[in-house]
Amino acid sequence: MSVIGPQAQTQLAVPPRVRPLEGGSRLEWLLMNVAFVFVAVFFLAPFVWLFTAAFDAHAEAYIRWPSQLTVDNFIQIFSRYAFATALGNSVFVAVSTMLLTVFCVSLAGYSLSRIEFRRKSWITYAVLLLQTMPLSATMVPIYGLTRELGLRNSYLGLILVHSAIELPFLVWLMKGFFDSVPRHLEEAAWLDGRSKLRALFEIVLPVARPGIAVAAGLSFLSAWAEVLMVLILVDQQSMKTIPLAFYETFRSAGGYTEVQYGLVAAMGVLYVLPVMAVFFATRRLMVRGLMSSTRGL
Amino acid sequence: MSRVEYDDVWKKFPTRDAPAVQGLTLDVADGEFLVLLGPSGCGKTTALRMLAGLEQLDRGDIRIDGKSVVTLEPKDRDVALVFQSYALYPHMSVRDNIQYPLRVRKQSAGTRASRVDRVAKLLRIEHLLPRRPAQLSGGEQQRVALARAIVREPRVFLMDEPLSNLDAKLRTHTRTELKALQQQLGVTTIFVTHDQAEAMTMADRIAVLDAGRLQQLGTPDTVYQRPANLFVAQFIGSPPMNIVAARHENGSLLLEGGWRIEAPRIAKDAAELRAGLRPEAIELDMVAREGAQPAEVLVSEPLGSEVIVNVKLGDVLLKVRTGPDVRPDPGTRVFLRAQPAAVRVFDASSGAALN
Repeated sequence: MSVIGPQAQTQLAVPPRVRPLEGGSRLEWLLMNVAFVFVAVFFLAPFVWLFTAAFDAHAEAYIRWPSQLTVDNFIQIFSRYAFATALGNSVFVAVSTMLLTVFCVSLAGYSLSRIEFRRKSWITYAVLLLQTMPLSATMVPIYGLTRELGLRNSYLGLILVHSAIELPFLVWLMKGFFDSVPRHLEEAAWLDGRSKLRALFEIVLPVARPGIAVAAGLSFLSAWAEVLMVLILVDQQSMKTIPLAFYETFRSAGGYTEVQYGLVAAMGVLYVLPVMAVFFATRRLMVRGLMSSTRGL
Repeated sequence: MSRVEYDDVWKKFPTRDAPAVQGLTLDVADGEFLVLLGPSGCGKTTALRMLAGLEQLDRGDIRIDGKSVVTLEPKDRDVALVFQSYALYPHMSVRDNIQYPLRVRKQSAGTRASRVDRVAKLLRIEHLLPRRPAQLSGGEQQRVALARAIVREPRVFLMDEPLSNLDAKLRTHTRTELKALQQQLGVTTIFVTHDQAEAMTMADRIAVLDAGRLQQLGTPDTVYQRPANLFVAQFIGSPPMNIVAARHENGSLLLEGGWRIEAPRIAKDAAELRAGLRPEAIELDMVAREGAQPAEVLVSEPLGSEVIVNVKLGDVLLKVRTGPDVRPDPGTRVFLRAQPAAVRVFDASSGAALN
């Protein structure tokens, strides 16, 4: 005896819709995969060149297996072109910017998310307005300001300016993350006996960890790759960061007329490795954070 | 010893026109289980949150053991709140969740472990201690939230609809356990719910709220048998009290639909009256008796242990509770008699009970 009613049986009798693999869809499949391969090659090719040329004694402007495997390019950029100082500067500035930014955006984002105060929505949108300002438009005032304050050619100047560039967007991002953390969690912590500040650090921030990872990752990447502000803030050799050192090494090693591809590739490897390291270290949290930050959009 | 007093408490949110809580005055005795009952938006949760320190008062005072707590931070009030969402810390294990309030109070690791184990045993959640909240069912999360509230031995337990996320069967079971637990621990408890069955079964006293005002404060029996106004009469009871327009005539009460019943003694008269009869305060007979009112059966609703018979009296629909064997068919002529002592009379304009 069937337990399914006649109507349900009729519905079940209709075969599930399966799309036959006809010539048209096979072509579609092929075209799609060709497109994927093209995109993959387009993005991966520079990296392949970078990592092969860096270890090639006679690197050229095209991809090839190194004619002679060597680490000489790396030795040269450190011994002849003082790349180590720039690398150290960049690591210090990027990590410090990341720490300062995360600290500031956590507190600011939390305040905009949780605390009620007069003109809150005005301030919130004013923060966003700052983000729309083109960076190049701020170059002259930033130059003047840092010169007056004696912050040119200093780590503090670089860290403050890089942090300021990133703050508006990341404050908004963190506000979104805090909005998604249930208020009851911190209220429970208050009632359990914690002060509001301790509850923020012990309960809210750990729950908002994916958001913090995104803020940390983005601020590190921005400070690491930033060129424009470094150009106007730094002219002393000892304070230069990687992008500037990269360009100068390239020029003094032969410039455009006699490009030293091996050296350029070695510098490129050192430029991208820390970025990749940061990404892989935080990738799970970053993906979770980025997914949740776009969920409400 | 923890007595809680609300003294003319007012609270208005800027986003709403009417105050959320209006002149609430309540006195909760030590060890009492008080239920704040009312529909959504009646101000019951706001009243609870003000006691916890999560909302500020506009006016009035809240005292615990005679001392005002309105200026104290939530952390200094020594009250524990079980949230509707349970609010378990998702990044901590169940054990860490439960011992969090003890860690905050800088209890030693040994004390923490023994108290967590004791509470876990009491609530039968020992096997859940290493898990994370996301790995627990709703019922398990509810127990963990309860354990976190109990472990620190607070002066007052506050519970904000803690059973509403559980399925019906588990809710009934947990209700019983919670009441037993509260009796065992003897801690003053204020429990917020919109479910009148929860209120009736668990409370020592029920405070019924509507539109921010206290409508009635009394034992479940009082609130059920002697509702203070039309709102309470219709909010409490399932099915609710039958409310019928009525007027005094020749010393008796004439109900809409032509039913004349013995008038109960009332304190004062009003221009328009409403008579309230609980479904069990009406006797239903299949044969005519002296003084019984004939009516027509609309439909019978068997509920297993009882039957709710819907009868029509003119344009008025009445619900009558009968035994499981009485199931008159639709259209059957039946005869109704009211128990005079159980009839409640209300002023139609103010809604207040008159007897």
